[in-house]
Amino acid sequence: MRRDHRFFAGLVGVAAVITYLVWTGVTSTMVYYLTPTELLARVQADPGFHDLGLKVSGQVVPGSYQPGEAELLHRFVIRDLEDESVTLDVEFREPLPDTFADDAEVVLEGRYRSDGVFDAVVVLTKCGSRYEAIPEEMAMARFPLLPS
Amino acid sequence: MLLPVLGEFALWTALPIAIWGLVLAFLGGRWGRGDLVLSAERSVHAVTFLLVLASAGIISAFLNDQYQYWYVYNYSNRELATFYKVAGLWAGQRGSLVFWALNLAIFSSLAVYFNRARNREFMPYVVGVLLVIQAFFLIICLFVSNAFELLAFTPPDGRGLNPQLQNYWMVIHPPTLYLGFTSFSIPFAFAIAALMSGRLDARWIEVTRRWILLSWFFLANGIIFGMRWAYEELGWGGYWFWDPVENASLLPWLAATAFLHSVMIQEYRGMLKVWNMSLVILTFLLTVFATFLTRSGLIESVHSFAQNLTIAWIFLGFLAGVAVISYGLLIWRLPRLRSDQPFESFVSRESAFLLNNLILLGALFAVLWGTLFPLITEGFTGSKVAVGPPFFNQVNIPIGLALLALMGVGPVIAWRRASKRNLLRNFALPVSVGLVLTLALALGGMRHGYALATFGIGAFVLAVIVVEFWKGTQARARIEGEGSLLALFHLVSRNRRRWGGYIVHVGVVVIFMGFGGAAFDVEVRQSVLPGETISLASPYGHRYELTYEGISTSRAQNMIQWVALLQVYKDGEPVGTITSEKRQYITTQQPVSEVGIRSTLMEDLYVILATVDDMPGVFLNSPQSERATFQVMVNPLVGWIWYGALILTVGTLIALWPPRGPLRASGRGTATPGVGAAHPRGDPSPSVPAGVGG
Repeated sequence: MRRDHRFFAGLVGVAAVITYLVWTGVTSTMVYYLTPTELLARVQADPGFHDLGLKVSGQVVPGSYQPGEAELLHRFVIRDLEDESVTLDVEFREPLPDTFADDAEVVLEGRYRSDGVFDAVVVLTKCGSRYEAIPEEMAMARFPLLPS
Repeated sequence: MLLPVLGEFALWTALPIAIWGLVLAFLGGRWGRGDLVLSAERSVHAVTFLLVLASAGIISAFLNDQYQYWYVYNYSNRELATFYKVAGLWAGQRGSLVFWALNLAIFSSLAVYFNRARNREFMPYVVGVLLVIQAFFLIICLFVSNAFELLAFTPPDGRGLNPQLQNYWMVIHPPTLYLGFTSFSIPFAFAIAALMSGRLDARWIEVTRRWILLSWFFLANGIIFGMRWAYEELGWGGYWFWDPVENASLLPWLAATAFLHSVMIQEYRGMLKVWNMSLVILTFLLTVFATFLTRSGLIESVHSFAQNLTIAWIFLGFLAGVAVISYGLLIWRLPRLRSDQPFESFVSRESAFLLNNLILLGALFAVLWGTLFPLITEGFTGSKVAVGPPFFNQVNIPIGLALLALMGVGPVIAWRRASKRNLLRNFALPVSVGLVLTLALALGGMRHGYALATFGIGAFVLAVIVVEFWKGTQARARIEGEGSLLALFHLVSRNRRRWGGYIVHVGVVVIFMGFGGAAFDVEVRQSVLPGETISLASPYGHRYELTYEGISTSRAQNMIQWVALLQVYKDGEPVGTITSEKRQYITTQQPVSEVGIRSTLMEDLYVILATVDDMPGVFLNSPQSERATFQVMVNPLVGWIWYGALILTVGTLIALWPPRGPLRASGRGTATPGVGAAHPRGDPSPSVPAGVGG
């Protein structure tokens, strides 16, 4: 019986180590995942949010994209999915994903600078699933310009 | 076209037959009526036949461009290659649910056929459980997400398959994963049958061992094929993003891996019976959960769209129901699932295996937690908080390294209680090998802690396995007077499961070393005109120079291609050309990148055509418009992941291969718990352990 107890202590030990790993992992890497509306409200309440790395989801405002020059600086604007009047200026310095387009739903990771521009380090487009078709509106949009 | 209509009819017919069969099966088992059970077994085959028809109907609708079907319209177009039209069966949610049901049906039929003359005490419940699962999927296929749903009109052409699915891995990866998911229903059904019938000895484990290995094998390969696909198609230079969909496929694999190991303790020592039962149930639940996660869009993933939440609730209800009933049965049978023997020592193979199990489940918990984290925080605090790849890496790298180390310990530590002598004798050499390699790499300039640990521990595990093979072969050669090669062959073929398992471990070590290579990835991004050169240094000190030759364009089937050509020089020597493309499929607006990969044993050169300044201008042959930005990477050891997967496959096939002749007779039904106690494996002379192969 005593051995079983000792064994049990061993199990608890392993569980504790893994819990510790998960706990420190979560606390050191978690980021807020906000909508533009939420982000603006949070920043208003606490300017410290300017220094925080976070994720923001939104939709690319059609026509807002300005292609980068040679040094690759992409500028575009995203809007809140629910409240279209709320927008956010974005800057991004990496190549954009293939599926980036007007009206595409995007998830940005980065920092909301104090000059009111979101400095994105990651841009993910919510499209290009392995399994699902692209959203209807996007597919129904105009066909590509076929060169003659 | 007749076949799709027939297919839809078959799908509708399959449901009542499945329900009829499951009622008969449970009644037959309860009343001991063999005739009812037999009838239920026939309905299993009938359902299989009907699902083959239904699947053929869907494929036929794809091949014949039947765009009046919502499903075909959304996942195909006229110009789509035939290859991908056939794969349309699993391209989207609706078809892939039918595909799931088809796989389950085929495995169920095989299980019924193989057990027509044995394990009869289990079969009523096995058939009943399988048909319950089948009925659930059929209900979804018919009432929630019907692949045969018609549009109000017939469009002239379809919307086309998502460009990123148009890659040959699309034809290979999802079916492999689905085979893994569905085949796990069979061990689960046997486990539940054991609980229901009250035959709770190790018989259900003997029956299902091979099924579990098969399922594990499909899952492992399915996951690795998915990585390969991501690496070739998604074009960001990596193969794993800790995306919810990827995580979902990893979860059942982790649970199945734990089970494959803990089951040995039950076979040899008669312990951990409740644990094993729980693991089988958990693994099955996770396979359904994985299907559900990839299909429902409940968790926002880069790869899936939030949609159709009805299906999420139905799946959750089914999962909850199965969990309650299965674990309820387990609790009801608890008094009859006591261990035959207690644990004797910390330092023993049992505890190494148990530790392996705990760590695997720890990894499972960490991955599950990270995946569900946004959902949990939103539920409790109202604001979404997410964790990304850094979290998963931070938690899982140490866990993975601990598992890797255990792979070296498990095979050679003694059962029950290891002596100091046993430890010293078995571990002195391998530990030295690991330390020497670590030291050599560190002196060679490698400064990455985790990578050093990966290579050092990997070398230790490889050394353990090589020594085991060597000792076994030598012992056999001495006793039987055989040559070394023949002795090795006999050694492996007499106990395929054990030696095949070691080969699988070699594969896993090689895969881990491939992961370790990612610590040294280098990349450069540069905008160039034709004639200009991009250069970068590989982590091994080579210098790559890529001269951009220009872009050619063409109209291919279903797409327009922009193909950039680069001459590759390694340390000044030309080593060939590499192409990297942009494609525009005729049904979609956005261009898609196709990366160029030059793969060698030690490193991959990976070229992404990031942007072309003026894509239409290229058609006019103006050189200025061909200015393009490339992202060039050198990814060391990536190839080892795929080679490791091959080794793993070979090992699994060896373990799966049915034993011959007298071994088969002794393997069937004689490997009762306690057999292993007569063969304390820690003894360093691995004489031929007959009868445990099974």
